[in-house]
Amino acid sequence: MKQLADMLDQLGVKKGDRIGIYMNRCMETAIAIYGIMYLGAVYVPLDPKAPIHRTNSLVKNCDIGIIISHPPQRKKIENIFEEDNDLHTIVGLPEEYAPHYISWEEVYEQSSNFRPGKLIKPTDLAYIMYTSGSTGQPKGIMHTHFSGLSYARLSADLYGLNENDKIGNHAPIHFDISTLGYFTAPLVGATTLIVPDAYTIMPASLSQLMAKERLTVWYSVPLAMIQLLQKGLLKERDLSSLKWILYGGEPFPPKYMRALMKHWPNAQFCNVYGPAEVNQCTNYQIPTPPVDNEPIPIGDVWAETKCLIINEEDEVVQKGKQGELLIHSTTRMKGYWQNDVLTQQSLYTHTNSDGKQEIYYRTGDLFHRDEQNRLQFNGRKDHQVKIRGYRVELDAVEALLVTHPAILESAVFTVQNNDSKQIQAAVILNESTRVDKNDLIAFLKQQLPYYAVPEKIHTLDAFPRTGSGKIKRSEVKKKCLEI
Amino acid sequence: MDQIIIGYIIKELHNGRADLEISAKDDLLGSGLVESMGMMRLIQFIEDEFNFKVAPEDMTIDHFMTVEAMVNYIESVQFVEHE
Repeated sequence: MKQLADMLDQLGVKKGDRIGIYMNRCMETAIAIYGIMYLGAVYVPLDPKAPIHRTNSLVKNCDIGIIISHPPQRKKIENIFEEDNDLHTIVGLPEEYAPHYISWEEVYEQSSNFRPGKLIKPTDLAYIMYTSGSTGQPKGIMHTHFSGLSYARLSADLYGLNENDKIGNHAPIHFDISTLGYFTAPLVGATTLIVPDAYTIMPASLSQLMAKERLTVWYSVPLAMIQLLQKGLLKERDLSSLKWILYGGEPFPPKYMRALMKHWPNAQFCNVYGPAEVNQCTNYQIPTPPVDNEPIPIGDVWAETKCLIINEEDEVVQKGKQGELLIHSTTRMKGYWQNDVLTQQSLYTHTNSDGKQEIYYRTGDLFHRDEQNRLQFNGRKDHQVKIRGYRVELDAVEALLVTHPAILESAVFTVQNNDSKQIQAAVILNESTRVDKNDLIAFLKQQLPYYAVPEKIHTLDAFPRTGSGKIKRSEVKKKCLEI
Repeated sequence: MDQIIIGYIIKELHNGRADLEISAKDDLLGSGLVESMGMMRLIQFIEDEFNFKVAPEDMTIDHFMTVEAMVNYIESVQFVEHE
């Protein structure tokens, strides 16, 4: 890690510079993250599966000049270079291929005694994770060393983690679920198993790896665990070493939770909730296998965190009533990269009972407290959905469709397909145009991450609307599914 | 047999992209050429096309990492069934 920091320093990287990381799941991600942070620079994880245009928009949005990568991504890196941006150097590709490439071998030749000149303050940026906005514009969530370390401390304390723990990291580094394995584990000296991509695709191999490594903690989206349940041969695996099963990103269907708790009776299962803007902000430990199919509660906020549930007029709702959840926490982001307007819109200043002003983050999620005072999730305020744990702004998908010359209007909705949510789109074509639906999908695939691309496109002559002309998306959905 | 499988991957999992070339030895799992949803569809296709059920304990990286590995696996299963 110090060798990488030394190399970056020689390349002229200054404190606060944004450095991209463009890699599959691999060991070098840890070197990249820590090498970048050690120098005081800011790591920006880029999803190698994203379309090149989208990656390019992130590279431009936060002025990335250097990307840390590795040979499997060579072709894609070449494509990114051809786009219009200020990228000038790639660390991790063999220099024979291009003058602006520096190989990992050369990195390992640097001094491992390197010490950065400047001191890093808690308020300095550590990383920026991108999510998509409702207009399709990328939003860079800025986290500081303070917010990152707060998450590491709080999660280490809550789950009682120490050097004997072995954490299975399933998530790619552009997903904040990775912060448990990459931040919390090093803080307490635990071991993190970076699950390679191949294992995330073949559940029978994954369960074998988990058992072989005697993992004590597993943290992933529900889908990964449902795949283990259905195809992971759990009956044949001794996973008694597991102490904690944490999940986040999406609700866990109670029927699968029941089945998993039967397989792993000694593990504690926790529902972890938190928008990436605050990483984690609540914890709910599931006490006994769910008896019915009621959604698993979000529970309550964890340490160093306060919450408010407010209505449309920014007033705290009465006990038990529904409203938007606001979070005050030491794990809160600093703001959105170079977007003060959006940052201000997302924050709310509250005067507490001592007369002090506190800043809360507006989650956009609707909640109420049930009779047992547990937080229960009631959906979104807007048109954002979760697909496989990823946030998708349906408004952005609609806006993108309308940029296509053949399309006049669009309405996007979700369909529950067995255990997963699927996006589908309805479009109204411009008069007397015809368009091949495959062409439309290809058009969308060029600019949207794979999980945001509609599975099906329906053509309608008109959309059902309200009296004031707003599209009634639920009616559009009904119409499409009837056909 | 390689070509049948490669053809399916390109046509069904990558929308028939004209510029995509896959060889029998390419690492499908590490490269992102096939991801988890795609793999489930691919296994279903193999079961339908070659007329057998992939046993759950055979759904491992060794058997599905490359097209070559898949072909070896399919042939070994078919060989056993013919005995």
